[in-house]
Amino acid sequence: MADIESHDYDVIVIGAGGAGLRAAIEARSHGLRTAVLCKSLFGKAHTVMAEGGIAAAMGNVNSGDNWQVHFRDTMRGGKFLNNWRMAELHATEAPQRVWELETYGALFDRTADGRISQRNFGGHEYPRLAHVGDRTGLELIRTLQQKVVSLQQADHAEHGDYEAGLRVFAEFTVTDLLLDGGRVAGTVGYWRESGRFVRLRAPAVVLATGGIGKSFKVTSNSWEYTGDGHALALRAGARLINMEFVQFHPTGMVWPPSVKGILVTESVRGDGGVLRDAAGRRFMFDYIPEVFKDSYADTPDEADRWYSDPDNNRRPPELLPRDEVARAINNEVKEGRGTPHGGVYLDVASRLSAEEIMRRLPSMHHQFKELADVDITSERMEVGPTCHYVMGGVEVDPDTAASSVPGLFAAGEVAGGMHGSNRLGGNSLSDLLVFGRRAGAGAAEYIAALGGEHPEVSEAAVTDAVNSALAPFEVTDTRGQENPYSLHAELQQVMNRLVGIIRDGAEMCSALEQLAEIRQRAARLAVPEGNRQFNPGWHLALDLRNMLAVSECVASAALRRTESRGGHTRDDHPSMNPKWRGTLLGCELRDGSVEVTEHPQPPMREDLMRLFSPEELGKYFTEEELAVVRTPS
Amino acid sequence: MTAPTTNASTETADLPSDAPPIPEGSTMVTVKIERYNPEVDDDLHWESYRIPALPSDRVLNLLHYIKWYIDGTLTFRRSCAHGVCGSDAMRINGVNRLACKVLMKDMFAKKGETTITVEPIKGLPVEKDLLVNMEPFFEAYKAIKPYLVATGNDPTRERIQSVAERERFDDTTKCILCAACTTSCPVYWSEGSYFGPAAIVNAHRFIFDSRDEAAEERLDILNDIDGVWRCRTTFNCTDACPRGIQVTKAIQEVKRALMFRRR
Repeated sequence: MADIESHDYDVIVIGAGGAGLRAAIEARSHGLRTAVLCKSLFGKAHTVMAEGGIAAAMGNVNSGDNWQVHFRDTMRGGKFLNNWRMAELHATEAPQRVWELETYGALFDRTADGRISQRNFGGHEYPRLAHVGDRTGLELIRTLQQKVVSLQQADHAEHGDYEAGLRVFAEFTVTDLLLDGGRVAGTVGYWRESGRFVRLRAPAVVLATGGIGKSFKVTSNSWEYTGDGHALALRAGARLINMEFVQFHPTGMVWPPSVKGILVTESVRGDGGVLRDAAGRRFMFDYIPEVFKDSYADTPDEADRWYSDPDNNRRPPELLPRDEVARAINNEVKEGRGTPHGGVYLDVASRLSAEEIMRRLPSMHHQFKELADVDITSERMEVGPTCHYVMGGVEVDPDTAASSVPGLFAAGEVAGGMHGSNRLGGNSLSDLLVFGRRAGAGAAEYIAALGGEHPEVSEAAVTDAVNSALAPFEVTDTRGQENPYSLHAELQQVMNRLVGIIRDGAEMCSALEQLAEIRQRAARLAVPEGNRQFNPGWHLALDLRNMLAVSECVASAALRRTESRGGHTRDDHPSMNPKWRGTLLGCELRDGSVEVTEHPQPPMREDLMRLFSPEELGKYFTEEELAVVRTPS
Repeated sequence: MTAPTTNASTETADLPSDAPPIPEGSTMVTVKIERYNPEVDDDLHWESYRIPALPSDRVLNLLHYIKWYIDGTLTFRRSCAHGVCGSDAMRINGVNRLACKVLMKDMFAKKGETTITVEPIKGLPVEKDLLVNMEPFFEAYKAIKPYLVATGNDPTRERIQSVAERERFDDTTKCILCAACTTSCPVYWSEGSYFGPAAIVNAHRFIFDSRDEAAEERLDILNDIDGVWRCRTTFNCTDACPRGIQVTKAIQEVKRALMFRRR
């Protein structure tokens, strides 16, 4: 492999969404030469699809908000399975990251006095989401992209080279991480345009590859969401945690079939929209779980008063955390009260004036008009759950985003722990910025500690990686060849049907058997043409390896966790068990197979425990864990 | 609006055996795609595919059908698949559109069989099938300094911007950099050195941002020989924009700012 294109960097960031770009900006600010590798064109990352906003306790709209309230909401949303340190860092630093983004140039909707406006969202006690209409993710990615361009132009002015400090490799697929004695040494990947391989040496790699949604049939996720970073980490020996927790967003489009799964933003409910069954009844009042009874209204009258008087009324149950709402919709449909196309109605038309809807939800109006021929200012939307987010990911150190593999860092959706068993809306964009920055800083700290002694890339490892990526071209015997498109469709069916929103032990055993069969057939994946230039079949064949690995993790961990919590609901184990709250399930590769192991959750710091009442904690924690707050401090 | 119904069973002999069953209510249509594989073909050429289409399908669904069941080599970009990332701009029946946002119900022929033509966007080099080299497009974007230039604010608190000031440039912040406008512009086709509508839209986004301090610098750039004065106000760009941005109006506003600048 002597003739292969090669580069040397200090830090390689895989993924150019919010987390990846923030990590890269941070690494460069530490004087490190940084490469960003991304599968799509620069600026097209999945982050653009985020609609509702970025959660940060700035208190611009309700001055009662602060990081402690945000921390509490986040822990409640995740049913206390969250890594508390990550939730603490996230809540304390999110406002700084939003202000920083504004100074980078981001556009935000404003309050009457010109500050950043904030909107209500599910699970957030106060209006907390900074936003730009319903296109916040697009503005976030564009702002970071612009920041990168400005840094490159500054580097050009100083060094005569735009890419002296920061280079973006667009339409570039990473196939493997390279290790040297267990430490990260670099990556191997290829240009999608030419199919030519590239070796990149770097002592630190930040994974910021996002999620896994394309493993499911009905999903709001983009075509790039194939679990690449999760799989790269697994193959490099890192541990994934919480993989059983997959968030089904309650409101995806259900009709027409060609757009099934596309997201309908939670802002519709945050701004007053309500859910109704086929008969027009607001059913969410029937689904307020015991743990949330104190903070959610049990009558439509009180719920409606909350919008104008939030201090003296409880919140509408349409704004329960996503897992609760998704399960409720699922149940309504199952019991025969759904719409003709198997969803429920989301009604904003009877709640806000047409003018207000156009102002607050322009993209939603456009989306329904163009794709479903529904005018949301006068008609109800049909919605149902769609696979939206994976809470599970690479286990990381909260402060530095470092994984257990030296030199490997992870931030954003590919990292696990922050959101526990269920993520609140709006906490994803803030997660990207808070932990993207920390990953960039963590990599810088790691490199400084290396003191110039960098791991070596072995030629044999590069050759192996290239050969493995080219394997689909070697399947030339036409008998028994598998088509990547068909196999992908089968994988999506299995995950949707058997490891979806409501799970059952027997079904998941069957899923694991079917995944094993798909894995065997995947060895015979053949590429529909022999050349490597922009070869979509080849790209999918490689993505499919990753989707299979993460699907096995999701199914294996979900089978092991015999309780229901957040984004993991077991029909055969319907209740939440405090013993399981203290246990994290880890997934690692052992001889090519996924092995699930149990690990104790680190105990929460006492001052954070005391932010909650002992009564509330009693709903989630074991008596032993509670002893610390039972005694007055 | 309703599609002419056809008897699908007699029309599907040429569909592959592993294709999914033809859904009820679908119509057979011909999709004619301009194709190019640089490793095999000397030149661009047309290929036609006869496939079933539902009124609720988007052109992207049809391209997927061809790619998954008929010719796995068909190459195009797509990512979010609902008009936000701006990856799948192409020329559909001669006009620039995002394939994920064109509904088939608007495409069926009034009489006789429907044929849809799909070509790569014009004015940028074709790399393979519907995929073009976007580099010249992004170069023009970068040339107008597409980032906030501002001094005097500590990044620990937001700047104050009134609702009206923020509204002033709302329209041009909707851009998704799909290149549909730029590659619909006849001036851009003939003179590739022209910055093109998208770059001007993004300059507008900062020129009219109350927080920005580099408006004069950007206006100087756009006053250049390849700048706004090349615009012939054909409105192709406004028609092409999948986000509904008033592109031509934005260009006119930049022209006006140049004419009335106080220097």
